[in-house]
Amino acid sequence: MNITKNTEGKTLNIALEGRLDTTTAPQLEAEFNQSIADNTELILDFANLEYLSSAGLRVLLAVQKTMNKQGKMIIRNVNEVISEVFEVTGFSDILTIE
Amino acid sequence: METSAEKKSRLAFKLGLGIVALGVLICTASSVIGYHQYKETIEKQYNTTAYQCAQVALSYVGEQKLKEYADAVNAFFAGETGEEELDAIRSSGEYADAREKICTLREKMGANDIGLFVLDQEELMRYSGTKDNWTPFRYIMDGYVKEEQSFTIGDSISCNPDYINDLNEIALTGRRSDSYFFSDGDFGYNTSAIEPVLDEDGNVFAMVGVEIPMVTLQAALRQYLVYAVLVTVIFVIVFMLLYMLYLYRFVVRPINQIAQCAGAFVENNNHISSQLSEITTGDEIQVLAESFMKMENDIENYINNLTKVTAEKERIGAELDVATNIQKSMLPSIFPAFPERKEIDIYATMNPAKEVGGDFYDFFMVDDRHLAIVMADVSGKGVPAALFMVIGKTLIKDHTQPGKDLGEVFTEVNELLCESNSEGLFITAYEGVLDLVSGDFRYVNAGHEIPYICKKDGKFEPYKIRAGFVLAGMEGMRYKCGQMQLDVGDKIFQYTDGVTEATDKDNELYGMERLTAILTENSALPPSALLPKVKEDIDRFVGDAPQFDDITMLCLEYKERMEG
Repeated sequence: MNITKNTEGKTLNIALEGRLDTTTAPQLEAEFNQSIADNTELILDFANLEYLSSAGLRVLLAVQKTMNKQGKMIIRNVNEVISEVFEVTGFSDILTIE
Repeated sequence: METSAEKKSRLAFKLGLGIVALGVLICTASSVIGYHQYKETIEKQYNTTAYQCAQVALSYVGEQKLKEYADAVNAFFAGETGEEELDAIRSSGEYADAREKICTLREKMGANDIGLFVLDQEELMRYSGTKDNWTPFRYIMDGYVKEEQSFTIGDSISCNPDYINDLNEIALTGRRSDSYFFSDGDFGYNTSAIEPVLDEDGNVFAMVGVEIPMVTLQAALRQYLVYAVLVTVIFVIVFMLLYMLYLYRFVVRPINQIAQCAGAFVENNNHISSQLSEITTGDEIQVLAESFMKMENDIENYINNLTKVTAEKERIGAELDVATNIQKSMLPSIFPAFPERKEIDIYATMNPAKEVGGDFYDFFMVDDRHLAIVMADVSGKGVPAALFMVIGKTLIKDHTQPGKDLGEVFTEVNELLCESNSEGLFITAYEGVLDLVSGDFRYVNAGHEIPYICKKDGKFEPYKIRAGFVLAGMEGMRYKCGQMQLDVGDKIFQYTDGVTEATDKDNELYGMERLTAILTENSALPPSALLPKVKEDIDRFVGDAPQFDDITMLCLEYKERMEG
C-alpha cells in the first residue's frame, strides 16, 4: 500500500493506494500517529484504494475518534466495494463520506 | 579420517619445507656467484701476469731492434729481400741473445710460449672458414716450450680463428684487448696476452704474445667451491634450525593450541579451555586466541540465552494450545446440538487461520420456545482478538434474556464492551432469535455480514437488512431489532467475512456470487452436509494460497412448528 500525504495549513490530506488489510494497517496507523497531532481537518482520498479489511476499519475508527476530539475527518472518492463495506459494518453512520 | 596429530604436524612440515627450499636456494646462489667471482679474479691475475711477462720480453729485444726485425720480415714477405737477409739476423749475436733471455723468462714464468710477430691485417681478415693457406702471423722470434717446434724469424702461421676480431681491434686501436684469450691446449687451460708495440706515429708494427697455463686454477676453484659450499651449508642449516625452533615456539605451537581448544570446545559440549589465555606471543596469534576465547564465551552465552528463549517459546506455545482448546470448547461443537428437538436442525463450523482466532458463533435456547443464534467477528487476530471474543460472547449470551428486545441487548453489550476496550478492537456481530412456535424471527446486526435465507423455492438469497455500527466501536450507539417470518422448511445461513474474502493466489476474492451458487446447488442437503460442501468449494478456490482469516459458518433449518 502507498500512502501519499500533504499538508495545507491545518488540513492534512492523505491518499491511499492499494490494499488496506492486516499487513498494511499498522503502516497507516503509524502514519496517523505521527502526522495528525496538530491538524484540525483530515481528508482521506480513497480513489485508489482497492480493498479494506476489518483491520483497516479498526484504524479508521481509531483516527475518527481522535479527529472527533480535535476537528473533523472526511473520506472522499469511496468506490463501490468499499462503500458496501462501510454500509455492511455500519461505519457509514459514524464516518463523514463525501 | 586423519588423526589430529597427523594434521597438526602438517603445518610444521609445510613451514619446514619452505625454509629448506629457501636454504637450498641461498646455498646454490651464493656458491654460484662466489665461484664466478673467484674464477674471474684468478683469471684476471693470470692475464695480468701474462702482460707483465710480455712487457719484460719486449724490453729484452728493445723496440728499436724489434722495429728493424719487423721491417725485415715485412720486406721478406713483400718479396723485396730473400732468405739471406733473414739468415743474417738469425745468426746475429743480438738476436740469439735476446731469444736466450726470452726462453729463460718463459721458463721462469712457467709460460707455454712467448712470441714476437708481425700481424698481417689484410691476411687476418681474409679468413674464409679454413686455416689452409691462411697465415696472418709472421714470426720475428719465438721462445716456445718445445724447442724443436719453436718458430723463427720469417715463419708464417695461422692463429685461432676465434681471436680474429679481437686481434683486428688491437691492430686498429693499438690498445690491449678486454679479452683474456682463453684456450685449451696441450698444457690445459691457458690465457694469453697480446701486447701491441707502437711506432712513433702510433701504428702497431709488431705484437708480443704470451700464453700462460692456468695450472692452479682448476684445483683452486675446486677447493674454493668445497669451502664456500660447506660454510654456506653449515651457516644455513644452523640458521634454519634456529628459525624452525622459533617458528615452532611462536607460531606452530600456539596455533596447535588454538586448534586443540577449538576441537575440545566442539567435542566437550562447549567446554571453554583456559589454555587459550596462556598464549602470550604478543602478536596476531595472541589476538586470534583472544578473539577465539571471546567467541567461545559469546557462543556459550548465546546458547544459554537460546535455551532460555526456546523454553519460553515452548511454554508460550503450550499455553497457546491451551488457549486454542479453551476457545474451541467455548463454541458449541456437539452435533446434533438438540437431539430431542424435532423442530430445528443446526450446524456450525469454525476454521481458525491462526492458533487462536477472533471469529465465534453461538446458539442456545433462551427459553423453552426461543432459540438464539450468534455469529461474530473480532477485528484483529491472535490472543488479543481471542480474549475480546470471550468477553463479547459471554456478554451477548448473558444479556439475551427471554422477552428482551435484541436492540437493547446489543446496546447494552456495546456499552460494556466500550468500557473494557483499551486496544481499539471491535466486533461485528449478528444475533437472531427464532420463536419455534410462531416462526417469528427477530434479529439485530452490528456491522456484520447479512445472512442468507433459503425459502421453499430452494434458492439461497442474501437477506438485506440494515446494519448498525460495530460493537465496541463507539459509546452511545443504539441498535434496532428487525423482524421477519420463517416458514417450515426455511433455512438461514450466516457466516463471517473469512468466507467471502477467502483469497486465491491471484488475490481474487471468493465473493458472494460463488457462495450463492454453492449454497443454492446444495440447498436440499441438511445443514450438517451443506457446510462441508461450502468449505470444500472454498478450499478448491483458494488452492495453495494461505488462509488469512478465520472461516466460520452456521446454518439453521426450521423443520417443523413447535406445539404451542
